[in-house]
Amino acid sequence: MSEIEWRIPVSEDERGDIVSKVTDRVVAELMDSVSKSPENELEYIINDVLYHEKQRARSEGYSSEMKEELSFLKSATRGLSSSDDEKKELMLRKLVQHYAEDIAGHFDKKVYAFTTKILPIGLEAIFNVQSPDTLLSGFSHMPDLRARIAIRGNIDHVKEMARKGTIIVTPTHSSNMDSVVVGWAMNEAGLPPLNYGAGKNLFTNYLLSFFMNSLGAYKVDRRIKHSLYKDTLKYYSIVILEHGCHSLFFPGGTRSRSGTVEKKLKLGLLGTGLKAFINNLLAGKENPNIYVVPLTINYPIVLEGETLIDDYLKEAGKSRYIIEDDEFSKPFKTFKFASNLMKMESSMTLHFGEPMDLFGNIVDENGVSLDPRGRQVDVRGYVTNGAGEIVHDDARDAEYTKELGEAIKESFHRNTVVLSTHALAFTLFNMLRCDNPGSDLYRMLRFEGEGKKYPIKTVLPRLAALTDELLKLNNENKIKLGGPIRPGDCAQEVMYDALRFFSMYHTKPVVSRRSENIILTDLNLLYYYHNRLVGWGLEKCVSGRN
Amino acid sequence: MTDYGEPIGIVGSGSWGTALAQLAADAGHKVLIWTRSQEKADAFNSSHINSTYWPDHKLSEDISATTDLSDLASFAKFIIVVAPSHGFRETVSTLGEHLAGDHVLVHATKGIELETLKRMSEILKEETPAKRIGVLSGPNLAAEIMNGMPAAAAVASKFPEVVERAQSALTSNRFRVYGSRDMAGVEIAGALKNIVAICAGVVNGLELGTNTMAMLITRGAVEIQRFGMKHGADAETFSGLGGIGDLIATCMSVLSRNHQVGLRLSRGEKLEDVLGGLNRVAEGVRTVRAVHEMARRIKVDMPITWGVHSMLYEGADPKEVSGKLMSRQTKYEVDSYN
Repeated sequence: MSEIEWRIPVSEDERGDIVSKVTDRVVAELMDSVSKSPENELEYIINDVLYHEKQRARSEGYSSEMKEELSFLKSATRGLSSSDDEKKELMLRKLVQHYAEDIAGHFDKKVYAFTTKILPIGLEAIFNVQSPDTLLSGFSHMPDLRARIAIRGNIDHVKEMARKGTIIVTPTHSSNMDSVVVGWAMNEAGLPPLNYGAGKNLFTNYLLSFFMNSLGAYKVDRRIKHSLYKDTLKYYSIVILEHGCHSLFFPGGTRSRSGTVEKKLKLGLLGTGLKAFINNLLAGKENPNIYVVPLTINYPIVLEGETLIDDYLKEAGKSRYIIEDDEFSKPFKTFKFASNLMKMESSMTLHFGEPMDLFGNIVDENGVSLDPRGRQVDVRGYVTNGAGEIVHDDARDAEYTKELGEAIKESFHRNTVVLSTHALAFTLFNMLRCDNPGSDLYRMLRFEGEGKKYPIKTVLPRLAALTDELLKLNNENKIKLGGPIRPGDCAQEVMYDALRFFSMYHTKPVVSRRSENIILTDLNLLYYYHNRLVGWGLEKCVSGRN
Repeated sequence: MTDYGEPIGIVGSGSWGTALAQLAADAGHKVLIWTRSQEKADAFNSSHINSTYWPDHKLSEDISATTDLSDLASFAKFIIVVAPSHGFRETVSTLGEHLAGDHVLVHATKGIELETLKRMSEILKEETPAKRIGVLSGPNLAAEIMNGMPAAAAVASKFPEVVERAQSALTSNRFRVYGSRDMAGVEIAGALKNIVAICAGVVNGLELGTNTMAMLITRGAVEIQRFGMKHGADAETFSGLGGIGDLIATCMSVLSRNHQVGLRLSRGEKLEDVLGGLNRVAEGVRTVRAVHEMARRIKVDMPITWGVHSMLYEGADPKEVSGKLMSRQTKYEVDSYN
């Protein structure tokens, strides 16, 4: 499976133990809060669950799954108002255990080994049940993913941290392909399999569910809004980290709708790392350290790009947090995406950032934290109080997690890999902006861009100016370069490379070439791909203005 | 047998550093001050006197001194840094070599680093391993505090623990410490008040009266708040002890270096003569250069800052500057109405 014998993330043997630990911890925390604040009655907590689930049934409808759920809740909480505290605690325990069971993954080492070998074919099989002939004709040869997916960055350092402690990989999130791609890449790079919470909506078909489970996914049902479920999820993450299970969190929470590199992070799950670390210290665990590994996933084209940018522009992202009817759920679209991408060399790039500790400090090859001046720091000090005791402190730890979030954002920023499509889109979009100074974005996208023609001889110098600036930023370690972007005169190669990608997959080409001109065809997608390069102050080099 | 609170370390043995040491001792803590001078350290330890700044005050016997930063770091996990702003980075970088993750740092230095335009808390983050950082600021004229007069300050930190430990370190029946979460606001207010203080000296030098002083302080507070909010600070901070409180005390303090700079300029002295005559640089003279540049970059309207900058660095006549300020277009008092 890999060159080193990795710790098994969650075997079936451990599963029961984890579910029971999670249940105990959630119940203990809630009982503690009930004892401290009289208003936090047990009955209120349980009623909160019932209320939210009934509301959910009213808004989502009474599917068989929902009916089953409501039936369970009814039976588990029968006689709530007339029960004594002991009975109420048992009811609470039943509810928590029910959620913990639902969440817990079903990792199997043998299935994992099998899955990662057949993933290239599996990618296609997952989303479309094809006849063997069609399946084989879709790929003229077994796709060599290693030629298509570049894995770069601090791989050896990450390996070492996975040996010395537990790692949490935190990738950027553009597509539902991300977890599959990361799963493959981890194995390919000799890194351990990761546990991660995948949206329950992704387990929609049997085959996908099978692969998700076997790659280390545990289920997160984002439709459930009540605190008890969220607490159970939180403790699930804490307990598996304490068990040494390497994990994956998408700190952006959801796929980037706009195409920008994540600027706002969700810190809830990230905070479980620190809780687990403190528990490790308190338990005297031999390898208590938990390391965070930011990872950028850089696609030349994004499977769900059209839907995502459409959603962003309609500002419906707030209410459509779970998008279920996008390209990922359309088998043909996904097949077309995957097979076209597999035909192109050096399609996507994953870049592992420098591992850091839970406080945002970089760590050295031995896993020792370094302060901003490169001096070694014993991180146990950060969780020690004035009396010299290692303690949990929610307010303090929330602040540490915020600072970790900032460090992850900075890592994302400098480890973003610019590809040809981002560069061309950025150039063209800014040329359009310069032609429409002060124009409202939406107006520009809808009325002033489509069909706009730019002679190639005007595009190339602007693109060259951009690539020069990107090279400078790369030398200053502020960005990474991929695809054909390299020192020397690469603008033409970048342009042609991008044109190939832009014409290959989306409903209409993002831009196209006609004779000696580039025509802007899909302005929303142009804007989407351009957004990848927002945040480095590159606009002025394309516009030629300061 | 006295029960002491946690040991307190203080980096800096100037007038304010020493006053803070006395406050911490009064609050029931053993204190160790770091000083560069062995002579001073010996004097502290033998006679409990800071002969440079407080020759007439006998300090608490719970205060001792050292010239060794590693001693300080071993003695105390809670350290207050009071180094002058122009040498701040160098001092804390050296301090950082002796610190661990469990050290808590609160600085009481008002200023902005000219070369980088960074605040002192940002420098602490860059130069030390400490994460739990705070700032102490307020209307705290050291002489009055040394004379036992009641006073108060704000301590700001994102970490409630830092606020609690600072309150425990310094609060007594003559000194109250209020908490805040807004480090940026408290630091900006503390640095920029020195610019307005220079202008206060001009007001007194030109004998313009109480109304003018009140106008200056009020409108000075507005532009400090405007600048602060552009840097993410909370508006309410500027109505607090670190904001308007400190501004009032500083502007009323006629003996302060900033005040003296403004006073003497307004009476016709040349800047080089004024600065040459002071034994140390007035903070406002340095800060106005940094803030003027920052305000220009982020396009924040700061007329008093521009006025002080033009007097100090562009040779403008204080009377003319006063006239220009008074002939600006009037608008609504509150920015959000404009």
